[in-house]
Amino acid sequence: MKQGTVRFGPVFLNLDFRTLKGIKSAACFCVCLLSFLCFGSMVLAQTAGLAPKEILDRVDDLMRGDSSHGKMTMTITTAHWTRSLRIEAWSKGKDKSLMRILAPKKEKGTATLRSGNNIWNFLPKVKRIIKLPSSMMASSWMGSHFTNDDLVKESRMADDYDFKATFEGVKSGREVLEITCIPKEEAVVVWGKVVLTVGKDNYLPLKIEYYDEDLELARTMTFEDVGLLGGRTLPRRFITVPADKPQESTVITYEEMAFNLELDDKLFSIRSLQR
Amino acid sequence: MGLMRYAWRNLWRNKRRTGITLAAVTLNTAILIMAYALMDGMIKHSVQNATNVVLGEAQIHAEGYREDHSFYKSLPDPEIILKKATEHRIGAAPRSYGYGLVSVGAKSAGALFWGIDPAVERAVFDLADNIQFGRFLSDKPEQGIVLGKKLARSLHASIGDEIIVVVQAADGSLGNELYTIFGILKTVGDNIDRGAAILHQDDFRELFVSKGRIHEVALNTRGEMPIMELAALMATAAEGTQVKTWRELMPLLSDMVNIFDSVMLIFYAIFVLAAGLGVMNTMLMATYDRMREFGILKAIGTSPWRIIGNMAVEAFVLAVTAAAFGLVIGLAGGYYFQEVGIDTRIFAAGDFSFSGVAFDPIWRAVLGVKVVAIPVVVMCVICTIASLYPAVLAARINPVRAIHHV
Repeated sequence: MKQGTVRFGPVFLNLDFRTLKGIKSAACFCVCLLSFLCFGSMVLAQTAGLAPKEILDRVDDLMRGDSSHGKMTMTITTAHWTRSLRIEAWSKGKDKSLMRILAPKKEKGTATLRSGNNIWNFLPKVKRIIKLPSSMMASSWMGSHFTNDDLVKESRMADDYDFKATFEGVKSGREVLEITCIPKEEAVVVWGKVVLTVGKDNYLPLKIEYYDEDLELARTMTFEDVGLLGGRTLPRRFITVPADKPQESTVITYEEMAFNLELDDKLFSIRSLQR
Repeated sequence: MGLMRYAWRNLWRNKRRTGITLAAVTLNTAILIMAYALMDGMIKHSVQNATNVVLGEAQIHAEGYREDHSFYKSLPDPEIILKKATEHRIGAAPRSYGYGLVSVGAKSAGALFWGIDPAVERAVFDLADNIQFGRFLSDKPEQGIVLGKKLARSLHASIGDEIIVVVQAADGSLGNELYTIFGILKTVGDNIDRGAAILHQDDFRELFVSKGRIHEVALNTRGEMPIMELAALMATAAEGTQVKTWRELMPLLSDMVNIFDSVMLIFYAIFVLAAGLGVMNTMLMATYDRMREFGILKAIGTSPWRIIGNMAVEAFVLAVTAAAFGLVIGLAGGYYFQEVGIDTRIFAAGDFSFSGVAFDPIWRAVLGVKVVAIPVVVMCVICTIASLYPAVLAARINPVRAIHHV
């Protein structure tokens, strides 16, 4: 009759999901995923010499809008595998979005619904919906270099950061403007510093560098392939590279986008998630 | 040899005196053996309690796995390791680990998935016995899962519920599956309690597309083999692996056992001292008793060295005889405590745990060569030393005064 048990487990298996993919928890302003969810109305500034605040607002608004609908490909490269997901996405307002995977076959029909700070996933294989627990916010979305947190955070750079233009001139053969943002004391953001580089001619973002609390570079997003998308001129390829794994990346390529459509709220419901 | 016979004859001139001394030494030797066996038993069993559930006496991982628990840092040749362990009759349980999400009803939580071989776990470890509700996994895969206690509580899960799991599979795809909750574990350790979701290794392989990756082999001989020997033996089993003993895996537990060991040693030292003093007292009395005899011996011209020698030999012969008796009694008592033990619940009710290790309420001794030999040697030495002091006194004594000594 064994009565004694040990209140011990393998201590070395510390269940910390933050280490899951080595991704720094991202409280970014949704440049990343929301970018392909909520493309904002972007009126190209033909006026010269915008103030940093206006530039930040523009970049923020680039990613925001009343509503959007589009298709994109997300290509994830890690040390161990590479895969591409084709995604269809809808967004409405600041806090509603729905993503559905179209390909590959194994994931086809898998959908993510975000409403406010909640995330639900629909899994067609088991025909079940699961709500994402808050403990999983820092883990990766579909294996990408974005976290679930990136999906739901919605801060405005101009509100949460103190900023100033730190460079103006030519870099890599382009006239650029660099704005360095330091989070305000009370702001709920995880970055220690964000450095934004925009083109001087169109004020479209070229590069955003995210630094962690120790002011070490955590990840870099670059914006490429400026062209027409949903009737606007925008970068159509977003590349995210984690600083600690430079050979890894997540590339989002936009295929089609439509902005400011009439989207029913019902679309962003658990019921529609299962369709 | 003549010296021994002389000593033996001398000893039995005064049967009562020698009998008392003999009894004192015998009893003390027996008590020391039993006490030592019980203390050793407590330490050994607490370690076994700690290692037998899941930890094992040692574990083998791939180089670098323990630093970041990467799914891709799996053991290069698990079969070789398992084969070698089997050849040396070492229990070896292969395990795979992967993170993911579990969800029951509206509740969901992160979990660490364990892919195990239930038959092996049952044979080598006690995890399967630590089930609070339901049952452990069967030897064949049947889409069942066993959860840690706190994890099950936070999911509001009960036996028979369906549980949805979502993981990032090894090929980057999204693994997801429905399982049935077969069992919920007792409290076994905070990490397991909070986050373990245990699957049959075949189910795990399918879920994670793991291609049979094994991250850990846990070794357990249940105390049959010293851990250093075990670690040294298995270190050469396969390239690119590292073997860590439970002491390295759980330094806190190791420290605790060391502290416990020291405490026990102090206790034991006090025991030895008390026993030694008792024996010394008896020996001293016995020697003072013989002051007249020494006086006469000196008077007829015996040299002081000879007197000291005789006394020491006498004491030694007495001690060896007594220790032999003590050994028999001590072994008998120790064996009883080993088989039956002491039920500590008569002193205190409830579970008795110390720094996370729950002790078995039945306190059992463990007999070993060390446990038996040390008390015997210690007693013989103490007796001989104890006899030297009065012997020196006797050797230096003035014969006239000694003869008049009453």
